[in-house]
Amino acid sequence: MTIMNYTGIIRWAGACVLLAAVGLGGCIQKKADEAKLPIFGEREVENGDTVYHTIDTFAFVDQDSVVVTNETFAGKIYVADFFFTSCRTICPIMKTQMLRVYDSLKNDSNVLLLSHTIDPEYDTVGLLHDYAARLGVSRERWHFVTGEKDAIYRIAQTSYFATAMEDKAEPDGFIHSGAFLLIDTQRRIRGKYDGTKDEDVNRLLHDIRRLKREIASI
Amino acid sequence: MMRSLIGTWRGLLWVLALVLPGVLLTACSGNGTGSGVPDGSAKLKQYYIAGEGLYVKHCSNCHRADGKGLGLLYPPVDTSDYMNEHFADVLYLMRYGKAGELVVNGKHFNKIMPGNAALTNLEVAEIATYLYNTWGRSRGLVDVREAAVVLDTAKAPVHGSR
Repeated sequence: MTIMNYTGIIRWAGACVLLAAVGLGGCIQKKADEAKLPIFGEREVENGDTVYHTIDTFAFVDQDSVVVTNETFAGKIYVADFFFTSCRTICPIMKTQMLRVYDSLKNDSNVLLLSHTIDPEYDTVGLLHDYAARLGVSRERWHFVTGEKDAIYRIAQTSYFATAMEDKAEPDGFIHSGAFLLIDTQRRIRGKYDGTKDEDVNRLLHDIRRLKREIASI
Repeated sequence: MMRSLIGTWRGLLWVLALVLPGVLLTACSGNGTGSGVPDGSAKLKQYYIAGEGLYVKHCSNCHRADGKGLGLLYPPVDTSDYMNEHFADVLYLMRYGKAGELVVNGKHFNKIMPGNAALTNLEVAEIATYLYNTWGRSRGLVDVREAAVVLDTAKAPVHGSR
């Protein structure tokens, strides 16, 4: 037995620890997979039942002049965001990422997308129609909506917890977050993602699959 | 027996230690943007590197880091017959913008491209050097004097953000 052998044994042990750590990491990952997604917002208990924060009632008009309400999403999962067509900063990146979500869910009629314009004075139905057509997406799956400005800002802030407001000091005239919100079939927020980041949108795609499994198991 | 087993392990660890950094390095070097700094003069390289940074900052939100654009909203700049045939126009629209229909590779685009009035002649030349020496192009240096000829003679109004 020499020093050489001791080094060998230390390396051996090191390799074992590493392998064990990788194995354990795999287990933790699996466990997190099976846990339910969180439910966002405040909750109250009424008559022994927990009442969760839900998306308020809304009615907007989409790119085909069709009225879109909560009923449009009844029994569906949907992903919501806030943008405007003339935005040069984060919106093009968000739309590139949302298109990725759209493409990955193309054959799934149970998951819809809802993009609200925060510049309804400029983003008319006609402009949103052109925008959606240029992205090459179907209105059955991806609604681009406009409406009364106050109603859009209010639902952004109080229902989706997303920032959306006018600010003339900003280069494009608005402040808004690049968030994608994952909404379940009971109007509850189940995830919030940075729609400008590849890895965050990967997490969204993963969570959509988890949410579908959860709904299927009820 | 024990000794030879440890020896094999040690060999394996060595191989891993040598191979792993190489693999990681290769994985990281593909950043999705252009095809790398071109061969040529120091000035070409300097323009190209500065141009890539400016492209990422001012252009890639819409045209994307890989130059592929987005649907029929933002035209591609990686493979583009328009760019090959309208060199002066490309320099010009960086500062002054462009409105109206634009046909790229047979596809019809029609969104306003906002100009960036703050771009200097040198910055336009640097972005052009990057664009025209990446994604399979090898035009060579676009000198600041060449850009100045196009930009300073332009009298058209600047297109706004919409």
